Amino acid sequence: MKPNIHTTLDRRHFLRGAAAMIALPGLSAFGADKAAAPLLGAVKKDGPRNFVAIGSYLGWHQNAFYPKATGKDYEMPPTLTPLADYREDFTVFSGLDHRAGNGHHNWSNFLCGRDAGAYSFDQMLADQIGQKSRFASLQLVTGAGESNGKAVMNFSKDGTYLPMTNRPSALYRKMFITKADKARTEYLLKSGRSSLDNVVDEAKRLSNSLPTDDKDKLDEYFNSIRGLEGKMQRQLNTLNDPVDDPGYKLPDNDPITPGLQLEASVIMYDLIAIAFQSGLTRVATLFLDGLGQVFTINGRALGSGYHGLSHHGNDPRMINDLVLLDTAHMEGFASFLKQLKEKTNAEGKSLLDDTVVMVGTGMGDASRHSNRDLPTLIAGGGFKHQGHVAIKGHNAPLLGDLYITIAQKLGMEMDTFSNASRNLNQVIS
Amino acid sequence: MSRRLLIGLPLSLLACALLFFALYLDRGVSGSAPNTADHSGVQEQASRPAVSVIDASVSKATPIPTGPAEVLFNYCTDCHDAGLKKGGINFDVRSVDWSSEANQQAWQKAMYVNDHLFMPPHGVDKPTAKERRILSDWIDQELSKQIEIGGTPPRRLNKTEYRNTIRSLFYIPDYELPQGFPGDTTVHGFNNVSEGLVLSATHMAAYNKVATDIADRLYPQLRLLPPSKLQAGGPDEMSLSFSASAKKDGKMRLASSSIAIMRSCAWPTRAAVKASGVYTVTVKASSFKPKKNTEPMVLSVFARDVDTPMRARTSRFRVLKELEVSPKGTTSVSFEAELYENQTLMFQWKNAELSHDHEKLPGMMRDWFERDPRFLAAWQRAVFPDGIKGKVRKTELRGLNGWRILHEGMQDPDLDMSQATLDAPMTKKLLELFGNRNYAVFNFADALAHYYFNYGPSLELQNFSIEGPSKLVDSPQEKADKLLADRLAGISRDKVDSDEAYARKMLGNFLPRAFRRPVDERTIASFLQIATDHWAEGHGFNEGMHLMLRNVLISPQFLYRSVRPGLLDDHDLAARLSYFLTQSPPDATLTRLANEGRLSKPHMLRKQAIRLLPSKIGGPTHPFVKDFTGQWLGTSLLPEIMPDPKFRFHTEDIQIATKEVELFFAEMLVKNRPMRDFIDPGFTYTAPYFAHRIYQMQQLKSWSADKKKSERIQRFEFPRGTRHGGLLGMSAIMMTTANGVDTQPVLRGVWVMENILGIHPPPPPEDVPALTPDTRGAQTPRDTLIKHTNNPDCYSCHQHIDPIGFVFENFDPVGKWREKWPGTKHKIDPTGVLTDGTKLKRVVDFKQWVVKNEDIFAKNVANKLMIYGTGRELNHAEQNELKTIVKNNVGGDEGFRELILDLVASETFRTK
Repeated sequence: MKPNIHTTLDRRHFLRGAAAMIALPGLSAFGADKAAAPLLGAVKKDGPRNFVAIGSYLGWHQNAFYPKATGKDYEMPPTLTPLADYREDFTVFSGLDHRAGNGHHNWSNFLCGRDAGAYSFDQMLADQIGQKSRFASLQLVTGAGESNGKAVMNFSKDGTYLPMTNRPSALYRKMFITKADKARTEYLLKSGRSSLDNVVDEAKRLSNSLPTDDKDKLDEYFNSIRGLEGKMQRQLNTLNDPVDDPGYKLPDNDPITPGLQLEASVIMYDLIAIAFQSGLTRVATLFLDGLGQVFTINGRALGSGYHGLSHHGNDPRMINDLVLLDTAHMEGFASFLKQLKEKTNAEGKSLLDDTVVMVGTGMGDASRHSNRDLPTLIAGGGFKHQGHVAIKGHNAPLLGDLYITIAQKLGMEMDTFSNASRNLNQVIS
Repeated sequence: MSRRLLIGLPLSLLACALLFFALYLDRGVSGSAPNTADHSGVQEQASRPAVSVIDASVSKATPIPTGPAEVLFNYCTDCHDAGLKKGGINFDVRSVDWSSEANQQAWQKAMYVNDHLFMPPHGVDKPTAKERRILSDWIDQELSKQIEIGGTPPRRLNKTEYRNTIRSLFYIPDYELPQGFPGDTTVHGFNNVSEGLVLSATHMAAYNKVATDIADRLYPQLRLLPPSKLQAGGPDEMSLSFSASAKKDGKMRLASSSIAIMRSCAWPTRAAVKASGVYTVTVKASSFKPKKNTEPMVLSVFARDVDTPMRARTSRFRVLKELEVSPKGTTSVSFEAELYENQTLMFQWKNAELSHDHEKLPGMMRDWFERDPRFLAAWQRAVFPDGIKGKVRKTELRGLNGWRILHEGMQDPDLDMSQATLDAPMTKKLLELFGNRNYAVFNFADALAHYYFNYGPSLELQNFSIEGPSKLVDSPQEKADKLLADRLAGISRDKVDSDEAYARKMLGNFLPRAFRRPVDERTIASFLQIATDHWAEGHGFNEGMHLMLRNVLISPQFLYRSVRPGLLDDHDLAARLSYFLTQSPPDATLTRLANEGRLSKPHMLRKQAIRLLPSKIGGPTHPFVKDFTGQWLGTSLLPEIMPDPKFRFHTEDIQIATKEVELFFAEMLVKNRPMRDFIDPGFTYTAPYFAHRIYQMQQLKSWSADKKKSERIQRFEFPRGTRHGGLLGMSAIMMTTANGVDTQPVLRGVWVMENILGIHPPPPPEDVPALTPDTRGAQTPRDTLIKHTNNPDCYSCHQHIDPIGFVFENFDPVGKWREKWPGTKHKIDPTGVLTDGTKLKRVVDFKQWVVKNEDIFAKNVANKLMIYGTGRELNHAEQNELKTIVKNNVGGDEGFRELILDLVASETFRTK
């Protein structure tokens, strides 16, 4: 696995190779028929099978996120207090980043590595370990504001961004099809299939007047129609063999106004846990967006909108409110860890052991728009967790090196990621 | 001897030569897209047709005349006889069956290696030029008897053509294909060649999905009136965004009339309608400390899509009602309004004094400070905590936090009033900052809003309710889609008696547009029956239309063009011309001319081609220019290359480099410049800073005077005969022929051979390691490559590739001029000798060589244009037609635009 375009292509085949790379991924990415795709990465038998990344657009206030001491014996920093019960289950990393450019527009270095907009880590995983599940990956967002609804987190192999779902109800409908949707899909498939004869007849009429070579070319048409019929049949079969609806109670209206982000995130966490448990997907990301929304915490409206707080200018009251908000985000995340720990997969293994959970960001210090030193937390995944790992010094490892370790833990063969080509297997395994 | 012959690939070793001869037999004259198949695999493939090439036992065979038979006997049959059969080829025969396609291809390739001096190999007797001509002329004559012009297989629309066709067919100019729609494969250099345009089940599923999405819009499901519902809320169910609103005394206060909704509006957070319909909206509001003797407060009630981003402006929203709020007591207003699916309300105090406008703020604050010096002093303390020379507070003053800071000052009995006069320098600076967008809008005004929330005036929202729907309505999009359905049918549904009559009208109108040609009654009837059968099964009108449209959009006549054999009729010609030059289906003019049977008339075809070609150089890039250069010259791949950061070559630079190619190509076309100007034009289009930094154009002295100006692309002229300008002097080309990190002379050499000269060297053998330049300073790429070329396996090709590759070594991977190999002290050595003996000292020598051999270059461009235009690789007969066209063009100095027009007029272009 060589994800970096510079390393995969050499000699004079570069141009052709690049062209092929651009043309190919679409073929396998389209349609619901994921089952037919080959499983490229061999999953280790006992290793974790799921991956989830949570990225905060405005970052995590570093001083309140990083423990003062390194190693396992540290005092829980303010932002992580909601996670106190799970301190054995996660590792905090300070000092990692991708050496990417600064500023909001480079935020997507979080999963892309040095070059914002490159093939993102989650999609590399989705293209390998995600291919056998119903959804190769789920991209979710709460608190949408800044990004104008455009994804800034997930990029496919050909460099196109993937849209994110902001409505819990839409995600739920996608996961557990409703009766009305099922009836409509069934109608479309059946009526569509019944009318295929007409186009086949038309193609036959055309074909009759053609020389042999052209007839051969037109055979592709007949084959594609047969293939479509097969796809329709398989879809009908899936419709009649649905995943059990867990009966999750959604609110009447989706809490998608940015001010209800904390509430929306908790629902998204619940749905990700359900999706992992029922094997609907192996890879999920949650983007915590943020702009003007003013949060009310403990009955008090905070001192500024989210983006305003992130530009705290070292005003202690602004920092205090920002940390309150970061901590509130972590409370939602703690509820996620709790569920993963309590829920088990079909083999009776805890979901937390079965899932590499990553919390991070593409922005180190939003107040200065710096993308250095990205706060990162890894939970679960069967790792022997190490408390607080501080990465420092000349030629220090990169965040990409941690991604390589994660990918290997998930059973993938990966030895480079973006500008990283080492790993952190010595630090965490 | 033709100049063309000189640049062939004379082979030095017999074994090697035979190998490559076999290779060429398989690969075709102008070379199929080279692949990475391993050497032995190719060889094995090649031997299959070769064995059956010359078979005298077939009765249809004609005897080989004495002239060519002597050439074959004297120079070829020593190795290629029935016994030795080197490379699987036997020339020791008396006659040839020319009707066999395998024989045609094999002899065509035999002619190619003869013309290009690939054979006989090094070290044996060679035929004279005259003898070579005898052999080739005979093959040419025989092939010309057999091979006819034409032969594009049915050609599926490629992804861009398909998207453009949907846009045009349904009048949706901004239509985009769904995420994950499959892309196309590039064959013979282009992604619109029939051979590469396979149609898989994945494609069909994608077409079916697009068909369903469009049918959903045009013929939506009938909606049922849902039960009426009451949604109500107070301040706790309303949004808080920056300082747009604040909850006080159980009410939501508004203070700003900013056009930015995130700074002035509040909206319900847990109420939205699920069905487009008529709703009863009730709003209760009051005035908090209104100013005396001013106009009453006006509350704007908007409709807001719940997904609207926070950066939206109020002008984007539909006003449902503007209501006056009484200065005293509570105003309660109920009204009926249309709300569409997923909409809620949104509130703004329309005539608030504070508008967050940095142009109005200084005047307003000045008056305020004049009235209230303590307020001025509090602001001075908030913004200049360390005095006028100290830090200026900005981000801390955002919103409530800013208000707290300000309010502390206002409450402080010891507030420093010494500067609180209008003429104090600190006041002047403060008012200046109130006029600065970054300080005033994002920070100060948000703090100021809280003054209004606390001391008035503010508009108070008490609660709201939305009840309904009392009836259903169409959203504007749904209304537009209904009109669109009637537009496609050419008639409104109300004006036709029956569903069937409407469907028939629709088909009569729509099918000729979808199939790009008139349709017969039988075709209309077959599609109509889909709808009538569906209705007969009890489905509704829209469902029948829905299914019928879905069916049309996956039918072969929609998805394919170039189906009918022979000379294209007017309709197929219209499609070929239109997709060639615009990547879109024929427009109304072309369709009309085709229907009238006039398009195929030579003067009309020429006139229409001129109309579709770009007519000016600047402006939005013409689709033909963008797509053809993007594929031919590889500029469409530039965004993927991502140059190494050490080159400081960013997205904007890549855009300028791409634009240079496009504008240059456009001028070549629009001004009908001679073909040699592609190589040595004496002008280019780039930005002054780019010309200075990348091209190091010496005459640019004052380039950095104005930053904005220096980034604007302009036309530069310089003397001909320099390294500047032309395809072989452009950053974009140097980039596509490198990999973003370092240059590889071999890569560049092969690229220039294939894309400038039209010669396709065979792929390198699998077991030969790639050249890896040693960047530690011990060696130069040339040292390394010399080692490789000492290997006879490599030498036969590299003697030709490498001189061309090395002559470009002064261009780094982003096309910047350099004198030394990176990381070394070694001066770059760009010298070399072409196989015709031409000595190259520097890049201009090679450019001049191409200018002298203009016909080779022009033939290559013409060939690429024809592959792109017809969707097929040209056969022997077509190559001959092409040669004549190019000869006339170059000989008559006719120019690039004339070349394209002559190609369009050619039989090759006009034949399927």
